[in-house]
Amino acid sequence: MIKYTIKRLLQSLLTVLVVATIVFLLLRMLPNEYYFTEDQVNKLSEEEKNERLRAAGLLDPIGEQLLRYYGGLVRFDFGDSRRIQTGVPVLKVISERFMVSMRLGVSALLIALAIGIPLGILQAMNKDKIPDHIGTAYTVFINAVPPLVSYSLILVFGAHVLGLPSLYSTRRPGISSILPIACLSLASIAHYALWTRRYMVDEMNKDYIRLARIKGMSNRNIMIRHVLKNAFVPLAQYIPASFLLTISGSLLAERFFSTPGMGPLLTDAISRYDLNVVQGCVVIYATLGVIGVFLGDVLMMIFDPRIRLVGKGETR
Amino acid sequence: MSKEPILSAKDIEIQFSLRGKTLKAIRRCSLDLYEGETLAIVGESGSGKSVFTKSFLGMLDANGKITGGSIMYGGVDIAQYKTEKQWMTIRGKKISMVMQDPMTSLNPLKKIGKQIQESIELNQGLKGEAARKEAIEMLKKVGIPDAERRANQYPHEFSGGMRQRVVIAIAVACRPQILICDEPTTALDVTIQAQILNLIRDLQHELGMTVIYITHDLGVVANVADRVAVMYAGQIVEYGQVNEIFYNPWHPYTWALLSSLPQLGIKGEELPTIDGTPPNLFQEVKGDAFAPRNKQALAIDFEEEPPFFSVSPTHSAKTWYLDPRAPKVEQPKTIRLLREKMGHEEVTGQ
Repeated sequence: MIKYTIKRLLQSLLTVLVVATIVFLLLRMLPNEYYFTEDQVNKLSEEEKNERLRAAGLLDPIGEQLLRYYGGLVRFDFGDSRRIQTGVPVLKVISERFMVSMRLGVSALLIALAIGIPLGILQAMNKDKIPDHIGTAYTVFINAVPPLVSYSLILVFGAHVLGLPSLYSTRRPGISSILPIACLSLASIAHYALWTRRYMVDEMNKDYIRLARIKGMSNRNIMIRHVLKNAFVPLAQYIPASFLLTISGSLLAERFFSTPGMGPLLTDAISRYDLNVVQGCVVIYATLGVIGVFLGDVLMMIFDPRIRLVGKGETR
Repeated sequence: MSKEPILSAKDIEIQFSLRGKTLKAIRRCSLDLYEGETLAIVGESGSGKSVFTKSFLGMLDANGKITGGSIMYGGVDIAQYKTEKQWMTIRGKKISMVMQDPMTSLNPLKKIGKQIQESIELNQGLKGEAARKEAIEMLKKVGIPDAERRANQYPHEFSGGMRQRVVIAIAVACRPQILICDEPTTALDVTIQAQILNLIRDLQHELGMTVIYITHDLGVVANVADRVAVMYAGQIVEYGQVNEIFYNPWHPYTWALLSSLPQLGIKGEELPTIDGTPPNLFQEVKGDAFAPRNKQALAIDFEEEPPFFSVSPTHSAKTWYLDPRAPKVEQPKTIRLLREKMGHEEVTGQ
């Protein structure tokens, strides 16, 4: 089991390394003009441009640049932002924003787990009855209607009927987060309800459930002791990654409520050619994603004895 | 048999509703089960063997229900049971079942010992350590070596045959009176089949159980059964002692079934098959359900359903052939051959 964990950890590290390298190489393939603003491109002479590029180390051989980049990564140094907050280290640009996104995201996710999973359980236990139909209607509505429409409905209801602030405000982070969190959790509730129901129904139709009934177990006990646990295993796999990736925020919801989070950062950085920020964001997201998947695998291994065996067999 | 039956199903009707249509899976089916006997129910897929016996423990799927008849067990008509709670007084404690596929019958995420223990705790009132000990005892009883260690393993660490032993241990952990084995060896290797059959037989003697086998395999029937009931299209069409069914069958479906046994085939000759398909049970069946597939069917077979005619005190068949008014019909050659091959004396028929 430990061998398997170590093996998966090494694989994860390798994945991060590959992603980081690909991002780096792709961005270096852009013409050097992208390092300058439009003004600078027009006003600076060729010598001045070369001078600046050389100072930034961009004219060094690519191998040397790559090594320096790796060195920076190890020290969590992603270079400085060039446009969004000129001269500020990328890590600082990001860290100022990710707290906001993460706070919203984690709250929304906790709400989604707390409502979505019980909703899924309720649906599965009342399959094809009214609670199930209501849950399914909700899931279908959320998935079928463009988020902007449901966000607008929430905004109208929250701001006009309940009098909640419609825009995020750093002075009142608590109360002004309510509507963004509500919007973010809408889709996740549907997601968790859908998958909980689905995994539970899958389990309920299995033969071992029939055997449990034959041995005289009540439906309630079967649900608690057999179905729930087994249905939770495939679900648990995705929970760590969901938590970690809340850091990336939501582009749409954050734009909609003008939240100063991570959501718009990556797209801004791309459209304004702030390449160090792009690089930093991508590497951080990839790392968190990989860690999330790794933790998911570890969780699965704890829950499902069959996976432990496969691991043993492979690394023996 | 003069003994009182321990379970007596009478005129059972079971219907399923499928996409708004009604399927009559069991059509007035009756069966008496005597204490300590081994009864085999044979018949082709879809003849209702499983559904019929599942109704003894209230294990019908949600869209199926008993719409008529009675199942008398312990002085109570359990066909009237509606709630989970009522059935829980029967399931596991009085009547238990072993299913076909041991690979999927166990919870993959629970230790073997725990799964047996659950059954014991539910039905025997033992708790914790005592139940665990009893679970290990059960594992030993079903022939699993090194039971203490094995109890802490998961189903994927067991082979198919071993898993079926575990399933049997779970089914009999609470000393049921009746054990229904629904094709217990179908999913297993041929070499394992005999072991499992022996195990069930040993347990039957040790625990004094009555066993119902559901099977397609007439070889199994010949090995284990005291009595045989042949099912076709939701009805029992013939029942009797095992030698009566093998050597002196009277229902044309039993004939067809026995004739298509590969062991009875004559070298160089094509093995007989049963042409046609079973009747559509979404529609009302008229006359003898097997008549359309029976080349020697009588005119009345298409008109009126035959009653049971008794061949001997223990043997009856539901066919017009046995009506004194019917034209004399000979048993097919293969059946006569079978009888001669086994050196069996002519059993007095009509």
